[in-house]
Amino acid sequence: MTFSLSMSFADLLLLLPEILLTFWLCVVLIVDFAFPRLSKEQLAYLSVVGLVATLGCLAWLDLNRISGALFGDMFVLDRMALFFKMFIIGATILVILASIQYVNRFAFFRGEYYFLVVMSALGMMFMASANDLLSVFVTLEFSTFGFYILVAYLRDDLASNEAGLKFFILGVFAAGLLAYGISLVYGETGKLVFSQIAPAPATPGLMIGFLLIFAALGFKVGAVPFHSWIPDTYQGSPTPVTAFLSIAPKGAAFAILIRIFFVALATFKPMWVFLLVGVSISSMTYANIVAIAQRNIKRLLAYSGIAQIGNVLIGLAAGTKMGTDAILFYLLAYLFANIGAFAVVIAVSHAIGSDEIEDYSGLNRRSPFLAFAMLLFLLSLAGVPPLAGFIGKLYIFLAAIKEGLYTLIAVGLINVIISMYYYLVVVKKMYINEPIDPSPLSISGPMKAVVYAGLVGTLLIGIYPQPFIDWAVSATMMFSSLAGPSATVVPLIPPFGG
Amino acid sequence: MSAYTLVYILFAPFLGAIALIFVSNRQPLLVRGIAAGSAFISLLAAFYMFYAYDSAKGGFQFVQRYEWSKELGIALYLGVDGIGTPLVLASAILLFAGIFISWHIKDRTKEFYIFLLILAAATIGVFMSLDLFFLYFFYEMSVIPMYLLLGVWGSHTKQYLEMTDPDGLKKRDSVGFILNFASNSKEYAAMKLTLFLSAGAVFALMGILLIYKFSGLNTFDILVLREKTHFSGPMANIIWILVFFGFASIAPIWPLHSWSPVGHAAAPAATSMLHAGVLMKLGHYSIIRVAFEILPETTRELMPIAAVLCIFSIIYGGFVAFYAKDTKYVIGYSSSSHMGYVFLGMAALDYISLSGAVIYMFAHAMATGMLFAMAGWVYDQTHTRDIPSLGGLSNRMPFISACFIVACMASVGMPGTVNFIAELMIIVGAWNKYPFQVVIAVLGIVLTMAYLFRMMRGLFYGPMDQKYSHAHDAVSAVDRLPFLIMIAVSVGFGIFPMHLYSVVRAGVDPLVAKITYVVPIASEDSERSPQLSAVGQQFAGWESLPSGLTADQLNAKGLGIPE
Repeated sequence: MTFSLSMSFADLLLLLPEILLTFWLCVVLIVDFAFPRLSKEQLAYLSVVGLVATLGCLAWLDLNRISGALFGDMFVLDRMALFFKMFIIGATILVILASIQYVNRFAFFRGEYYFLVVMSALGMMFMASANDLLSVFVTLEFSTFGFYILVAYLRDDLASNEAGLKFFILGVFAAGLLAYGISLVYGETGKLVFSQIAPAPATPGLMIGFLLIFAALGFKVGAVPFHSWIPDTYQGSPTPVTAFLSIAPKGAAFAILIRIFFVALATFKPMWVFLLVGVSISSMTYANIVAIAQRNIKRLLAYSGIAQIGNVLIGLAAGTKMGTDAILFYLLAYLFANIGAFAVVIAVSHAIGSDEIEDYSGLNRRSPFLAFAMLLFLLSLAGVPPLAGFIGKLYIFLAAIKEGLYTLIAVGLINVIISMYYYLVVVKKMYINEPIDPSPLSISGPMKAVVYAGLVGTLLIGIYPQPFIDWAVSATMMFSSLAGPSATVVPLIPPFGG
Repeated sequence: MSAYTLVYILFAPFLGAIALIFVSNRQPLLVRGIAAGSAFISLLAAFYMFYAYDSAKGGFQFVQRYEWSKELGIALYLGVDGIGTPLVLASAILLFAGIFISWHIKDRTKEFYIFLLILAAATIGVFMSLDLFFLYFFYEMSVIPMYLLLGVWGSHTKQYLEMTDPDGLKKRDSVGFILNFASNSKEYAAMKLTLFLSAGAVFALMGILLIYKFSGLNTFDILVLREKTHFSGPMANIIWILVFFGFASIAPIWPLHSWSPVGHAAAPAATSMLHAGVLMKLGHYSIIRVAFEILPETTRELMPIAAVLCIFSIIYGGFVAFYAKDTKYVIGYSSSSHMGYVFLGMAALDYISLSGAVIYMFAHAMATGMLFAMAGWVYDQTHTRDIPSLGGLSNRMPFISACFIVACMASVGMPGTVNFIAELMIIVGAWNKYPFQVVIAVLGIVLTMAYLFRMMRGLFYGPMDQKYSHAHDAVSAVDRLPFLIMIAVSVGFGIFPMHLYSVVRAGVDPLVAKITYVVPIASEDSERSPQLSAVGQQFAGWESLPSGLTADQLNAKGLGIPE
């Protein structure tokens, strides 16, 4: 395989957001070193400026419908990649704003924190464009690298250290699986680019290879049975990092999963539907049941995250264009509710110094705004109208029912009820229980901005989803050839009739 | 005005709730003013809608359609027919009355009114949705405010397991007991209600999704679905069962009722009123809208299930109400017993009985709203709901006790109240088909009399405990207004029922005609068709054609007998 590195400026245009962000990353690092007296808050805003510029650049590329592939198809920039890049950058901006207050808890390296967050975001941007197995491996490890450090950032906190170690060991293990899977696939087909693998016959080696790759990505998204690192890591990490970890890498990993299943494995759909159905059912059911017993809000959100991933996998199992639309839409809805919920957790833990659900008692009396915001975020996660999560769940179920995945939908619907219970338990603490200490809570400006962003997103997507649906639909146009539901072939009379 | 009437009715409370977010809790009068104002706009528009509905024209009126999502086939499609109209009116009346009933709530007034307005608006939304998606959307949306209204502003229920008959023997609601886990807190009641109703909603959603898939039309539009789909066979039965029991859990039909009395008892007065008054009717209404409209043939086959279960509802609820000692349990069980009448009226699938069922929903909303409002008043004054410990309150609160007598009369179905008309129509309409159930229903009326008069005696007559001597009557206009409104509506429609009757008939007639005359397409299932068409002929042979409609007119509406 030879790479032609003679790149024109037009090619560089495709990489412009990444180049911009890399440049800005260096600026952030240099400013941090050159002006050690500069307050770290300024550094945060500096990073946000760069991220906003990158977001603008991505939006410009998207509006001008610029797309293409680079490096022998290793790097592809299509509208789906742009969607996920904007998703990741948006999440990063919100996370950095939510971190400003929290960073004061770190004893050392407060400036480098922002550098590492933006670096992980850069890695995930590349993940969204990864179009062959090698770039999957490189980008995945690149983005995880930053997280290994971030998770253990509370250096004197044992839980954070434990979280870091657990994340690292399992992450490396997943990387090993990924490398082994890639080598098997390469050995069977001699190809690395997804679209070139597609026509290969289904040999056992290829299947095992893809199973290993799926396992590695399963670790990344935290689907059962690859979820074991999630609760401890989420609980131990600094909360803004948890928020970041719970949303951005999931989006990036789903970009890769969609490409692998819908491009490389498109012809083997009957085989992987069962795999995805099984993983989805076990993720939702296991996580929702275990979440009932949680006493720590971060652990609760961790299990809720696993369950949400189970829901997203329903869309993947549908295996149609509508399924991918639903995944994109769902992740967007999940982004706002999840980051919003974590922002409330950060604000509350800053004020009362605790993440125990018990300590949320009477939050409504202490801070009506935070309690109301948390109420909406949790209800959105549970899937209650008129919030974004409801439309997301419904979209996913609609995509799945068109493919006749009745069992999966039945399990998914039952899980909605189970999840409603533990979300309502938190609501009960906030609204019904009386506070032990009724003093009002204060909330900082940037934090308020993040919560407002979450609220606006959650309500807007819930009440007027059409523009977001349009966006998701047009972002996955390249899958429109997938075997999908078409109104023309479905008979008017149900086939089960008579 | 006229084209946007439904929009005003639906969005006035929503906008009121949004406006309240920006008002401080330190200005309680402003908070109440905004809530009452938005409810008043809704009420005025609802009355306008009710009287402007043209029952000669029939069908869906005041229709508004806004495209919501083309990909998913969803539109915000509002419109009311003769069935939705009285229920929208009832919701608007109860919301307006409920705001005045809860005038004295001190704790977090703003939040209370926000959730109350959302609850009522969502309920109204269900009654005017012509799109399955939005029907479910508003339905589920109405459940969550209930959780907070019960949990935060509710009261604990202590006497749940302590029901005794006159001989002092312990009794209990065995079904409720099994599903009760012996917990009496308001948190428990709230959680149980929310999970129960959400679970029901999810079952119904599964049915709706199956309708969506098997229609293959990529739309949630009820009008399109009912014209262009024809469901039959096992899949239709599965969908029907899912839809029926999903929605019947809120209605509540007998084995699924256990959340309801606990929830009523824990809820604050205004919430109980809305809950028993209109929220429970969401179940019946949604069954009519989804199962009756889209699956008429299956409805004809399977509706006897409801006819069987309604017996248990009526008798069981009645007896438990008789033994209950807690005022709100009595009213709560009486509600779930009375909902059995509605199911009976629906099950008979007759023009008269189904109209009676719809009018009964309206009548029951007023009667039970009054009862809950007064039970709430007594509780606020005496801080107990224990009937044996109360008594002689008529001296202290003559106005309330006078209203209570009217409410009891209405609930029992005295001539002169709209309940009488409704009960009579159900009994007359169902007699041909379900004589046994009608006998039970009449016995149920006697039972209703027994427990309501017993409660009335227990609360207002006999010796009074001196510790209640400080109890106050409703004196101010604000306090008396809600009672007077509900009494006026109940008695007013009891004496002048003609408009209500003709509106309801305009909605019921085409529906019953469709259910009665849709004969299965013979070529589809040759094995079952002889049997089925025999059923069809039996129905078609009934000489109960709607008075104003000839067979030709039915054909012209596309509802006649297919060739």
